[in-house]
Amino acid sequence: MPPFRIGLLKRKIESGDEKFSTNEGSTKEESHALEDSDNLFRGDLDDANDATDSEPEINDDNDSDSNNSVDKVIFGDDADSTLGEDEDGEDSDQSSELTDSEADDEDDSEDNENESESEKSVDSGAESGPSQAQSSDEVDKQLPKLRKKTTNASKKQSKVKKQNFKNSVDILAEKIKDSSVSSTTACLPVEQRDEYESGDTSDEEDRRNTTGEVPRWWYDEYPHVGYDLDGRRIMKPPQRDQIDEFLKRCEDPDFWRTVKDPSTGQDVKLSKDDLELIRRLREGHVPDPAHDEYQPWVEWFSREVLATPLRAFPDHKRSFLPSRSDARRVAALVHALRMGWAKTRKQLADERRQKREKEFYNLWGSESEPPRGIHRHIPAPRRPLPSHAESYNPPPEYLLDKREMKEWEKLSATPWLRKYSFLPTRHDSLRAVAAHARYTRERFLRCLDLYLAPRAIAMRESINFVHLEVELEIHIFDKTSQLTIRPEELVPKLPSPRDLQPFPTREALQFRGHAAAVRCLHVHPSGQYLATGSDDRTVKGRERRRPAREPQFSPDRPTDVCLVCAVWEVSTGRCLHTVEAGEAVARVCWSPAAGLALLAAAAGARLLLLAPGDRVGSRRAAETTDRLLDEPPPPHDVAMDERTRSCVQWERVGAERRARGLRLALAHFKDIVHVAWHSRGDYVCVTLRDAASRSVVVHQLSRRRSQLPFRRSKGLVQCALFHPTKPWLFVATQRAVRIYDLARQELVRKLQPGAQWNSALAAHPGGDHLLVASYDSKCMWFDLELSARPYQTLRVHGRAVRAAAFHPRYPLFATGGDDRYIVVSHGMVYNDLLQNPLLVPLKQLPGGEPRDSLVTLDLQFHPTQPWLFAACADSTIRLYS
Amino acid sequence: MSKEIADVQLQVRFVTKQEQYAVPDSPYAIQSNVQSSELNTLINALLKENNPSQKSVEFDFLVCGELLCTSLSELLQEKGASTEDTLDIEYIERFPAPSPQDCLMHDDWVSAVQANKNWILTGSYDNSIHIWSTKGQHKLAIPGHTSPVKAVSWVSFNGDQGVFVSGSHDQSAMLWVWNVKNNSVECVVTCRNHDKGVECIAVSADSLRFATGSWDTNICLWSTSLLEEENVPAKKKSKPEQGKTRNPLTTLKGHREAVSAVQWLDFNTVISSGWDHLLKLWDCELGGIKQEIAANKALFDVDWSPLSNSIITASADRYIRLYDPRSTESIVKTTFTSHNGWVQSVRWSKTRDTLFLSAGYDGQVKLWETRSPRTPLYDLSGHEDKVLCCDWSNPSLLVSGSCDNTLRIFKAKHAVGDV
Repeated sequence: MPPFRIGLLKRKIESGDEKFSTNEGSTKEESHALEDSDNLFRGDLDDANDATDSEPEINDDNDSDSNNSVDKVIFGDDADSTLGEDEDGEDSDQSSELTDSEADDEDDSEDNENESESEKSVDSGAESGPSQAQSSDEVDKQLPKLRKKTTNASKKQSKVKKQNFKNSVDILAEKIKDSSVSSTTACLPVEQRDEYESGDTSDEEDRRNTTGEVPRWWYDEYPHVGYDLDGRRIMKPPQRDQIDEFLKRCEDPDFWRTVKDPSTGQDVKLSKDDLELIRRLREGHVPDPAHDEYQPWVEWFSREVLATPLRAFPDHKRSFLPSRSDARRVAALVHALRMGWAKTRKQLADERRQKREKEFYNLWGSESEPPRGIHRHIPAPRRPLPSHAESYNPPPEYLLDKREMKEWEKLSATPWLRKYSFLPTRHDSLRAVAAHARYTRERFLRCLDLYLAPRAIAMRESINFVHLEVELEIHIFDKTSQLTIRPEELVPKLPSPRDLQPFPTREALQFRGHAAAVRCLHVHPSGQYLATGSDDRTVKGRERRRPAREPQFSPDRPTDVCLVCAVWEVSTGRCLHTVEAGEAVARVCWSPAAGLALLAAAAGARLLLLAPGDRVGSRRAAETTDRLLDEPPPPHDVAMDERTRSCVQWERVGAERRARGLRLALAHFKDIVHVAWHSRGDYVCVTLRDAASRSVVVHQLSRRRSQLPFRRSKGLVQCALFHPTKPWLFVATQRAVRIYDLARQELVRKLQPGAQWNSALAAHPGGDHLLVASYDSKCMWFDLELSARPYQTLRVHGRAVRAAAFHPRYPLFATGGDDRYIVVSHGMVYNDLLQNPLLVPLKQLPGGEPRDSLVTLDLQFHPTQPWLFAACADSTIRLYS
Repeated sequence: MSKEIADVQLQVRFVTKQEQYAVPDSPYAIQSNVQSSELNTLINALLKENNPSQKSVEFDFLVCGELLCTSLSELLQEKGASTEDTLDIEYIERFPAPSPQDCLMHDDWVSAVQANKNWILTGSYDNSIHIWSTKGQHKLAIPGHTSPVKAVSWVSFNGDQGVFVSGSHDQSAMLWVWNVKNNSVECVVTCRNHDKGVECIAVSADSLRFATGSWDTNICLWSTSLLEEENVPAKKKSKPEQGKTRNPLTTLKGHREAVSAVQWLDFNTVISSGWDHLLKLWDCELGGIKQEIAANKALFDVDWSPLSNSIITASADRYIRLYDPRSTESIVKTTFTSHNGWVQSVRWSKTRDTLFLSAGYDGQVKLWETRSPRTPLYDLSGHEDKVLCCDWSNPSLLVSGSCDNTLRIFKAKHAVGDV
């Protein structure tokens, strides 16, 4: 029988009993008269219950009737238990807990009864007249024995005489009906009954205590443990001390199965069934021993079509289809797995454990968690920590002595000049420190600072991105998504200059002799001589004196000499030969042809072809040169069209000028800015200033004729060069560099350096790379096989770049311009097409002194040694080695 | 660390190879921070003890094979030598400081110089050769070349007849005979085979042959005989103004760049240095290369000493390098660093195996001891411009020619106990 039903039954019976008891007064005689057995039975129980109810207050509060009724209630309890057992009839084992406990209670009550028996025996005896009358004389002396006997007897009787009891109940019910109909005094019980029937049954399961689900320790300090159904206190049973416990343990054979009921504070003796139940729970069995786990399976739903099916409706469509909600859930799990945010059970358990762990406030932590919901929060800057001097008890050295005090006083007019903003003072204890007078104001100012001065995340490193046009991968963000790039991460990994030797590292020689800025220079292909051209117009035409024991060319007295175009010995810096060109020499260029000693010098609008003679270079070469240039070509070869003739005039050279070394002179209609030889030495390409479509003129020496390769002007031509190996011509205009194929007469490609104004052009000796210098301080390296855009833009100069040069043998190139330094760089070109050129700036070489904001005007490398020549504006030529 | 060593007492033993200065072979305890001057006083005092009549002598001290220039402790620290053991200090008589003797003015840069016992031969950029006496008297100015003279060398001198050769940028070398008595000079033979300027000349020890190196990368070996040879082709004789011409005995081809210096090792071996960073040893008879030593800079000069059998080179940087010709690897034995510009010329002493002279573009002529690679013994200053050449053929004369048109002569006093 389920407990709540037991409870329900109890109520009914109780109410019945109460009714009975309340009506007792009126129906006393009748009940007595009706059945003796019943009376006897009740009386016995009355006695017992009376003894159990040891509280005197209850008796005091209620009149004798109510007292009786209470007794009846308790009696009802016992009766109920017995009744329950009897009524169900199936077994007393299943629902034995309650009944057993009640039985135990009864035992306890017996025990208690023993104690309180002596006091109440008289009263109870007086009250329970009929019972005593029944149990006759034995009762008087051996009370305990009698009690037991009577209870046993009553139990037996209750078990045996259920029918009798039922009968009595029925009778009672009938009586109640009668009374409710007839008498007005029966109103109260009727109401009570209604209340019990309508009331919820949950709190009835614990009959004794109605405190509900509250901690028991709330009642620790009270004499009671709760309240019963009628709101009366359930008193705690008297506490036993240790000795009592011990004695009980020794004496009571059932001590081991006695537990304390926390709701009532009473000892409960566990029955055999209880123990069995506990054992089963412990072993993990189903608590009900009658439950058969292995009972035969009845296949109610099988494929067999039943004549009378259990369910008359067909299966729903849902049951045949895969579940969509399941599919959604699985998809979510799979997605979580795939994204890596699925968590294992262990991780979940860890998280749970961490959540359970107590979190402590990190008192000394420096970083506070940024407040949530504020994007890119910038914490307020921290105040500096207080110093020693700010202590309430500063070390004596921080206290101001007399002299410092005097100084302090002196600075009272200008307090911001003082050492401290406060006066370090000593206090005996922190308690003695007075309130800081300026506290509010200082707080206010601080808040004002924080409010008025906006905080912004600054880039940690200021990087000049412009200087590094290298392929960079900038994806390094830290937690606050602040860009943190260290400068060294931006710089590409380049080999150390130490590993790229040899390259010019320091100035070795200065060639002195020119009186004005040296415009241009060119090293003889053998590397022995150097030709320079300069602006020495101021001393032009002055007679050079030649005293017998004076040097011809004194480097110490440059004003004595008139050098316009000079040839120097490289190894010593000695000027060997000079030619007075008549005008400022813009360009000098040795003929690259082996076995010839021929120098092309651009003086104003004239291109002079000079043979320095046997003083310079080999005599044999000089002879060859002379022979070559003396032979007039056949006249039919010389034919030039009108346009070319208007541009160039091949002049005859007189004997006097011939003796001075001049072999040929070509007069152009505009000033020459650039001269370049073809690698074979037969063609020379001349660039004229402001000559529009006729800016580029190509002269052929062997046939003494000129050509104008271009019909139309493509811009302001800066310079034109021959390709070192192919029949190509590089033409640098102001903005672009064009490459023409001379043999096929077509434009090969157009390069876009991206500079405002190109200044110089240098072709790599391999021919596949081009260096373009520009006046806007950039140098562009072109890989002709790569693209029309610069492979790299080198921004190594601060001002205009005027000269660029490649080394013919070593992987070196140099650039120089209007700033103080000439930059030598490593420019390794690989034969492997997949490998890009390696450009490494190596060395900044100090150039000459600046003159009229010019420093370096021309650069060239020695053909065989890693030496660099620089034509400087301060009229020197510098050799770096 | 240095302070620690400065306080240390050192056990030293003094040894010498010069017997006249021997001191007792007993260890002495000295402070480790002594300088060479203090050691000098000590040695002189020891010598005085033995021989009261001994004059005081200047000594140099060799510790761990290096000349003591700073304090003893610093040198020991640098060498990592222990201060616990007894230290052997060798002392040698110091080479006395050369004194400036004369300054000979020229018309132009002095590009070549060689001295013999009494006479100094110089070549100049004004195409002339000059003969001076060692006393500084100008004897003769010899025009003849048409381009700057780049190399001169005495061939032989007997009594009143001197023979010398000169090489010039005009691609020829000339063999001259100088009659001292008449003070007349005659070009005996003009040697024309080079295509470009002659850069250097070296006369063999037996004075029978000389070698010229040129910008055309060749080395030619010529005979020094004053007699006309038979096998001269007829067309080459047709230059009366230049005297007779002569063909080379051998042409040694192998350098890729200009030959900057040649020297004879013995009668059959020539060493040459080139701008192609190579030192080459040539077998003259076979005309082949015996050995190559690779440097990493263009070489300007080379000299070989028969006394120490080692090679010093001057190259296109500030360093002088010492090589051993017997080693097959191109390993620099010592690098001498003190010059501030290119070193243009180096010359061994003819009498001392550890001394040599160097001239650089920083206007300094330096006298070096091979055992002191950081500090030269003496700086012979005086030139105001690049020094182009130097010579120590006459052991008592240290001469150098420079771009300031002067030839400076320093007198080397012979050390008292010279070996």
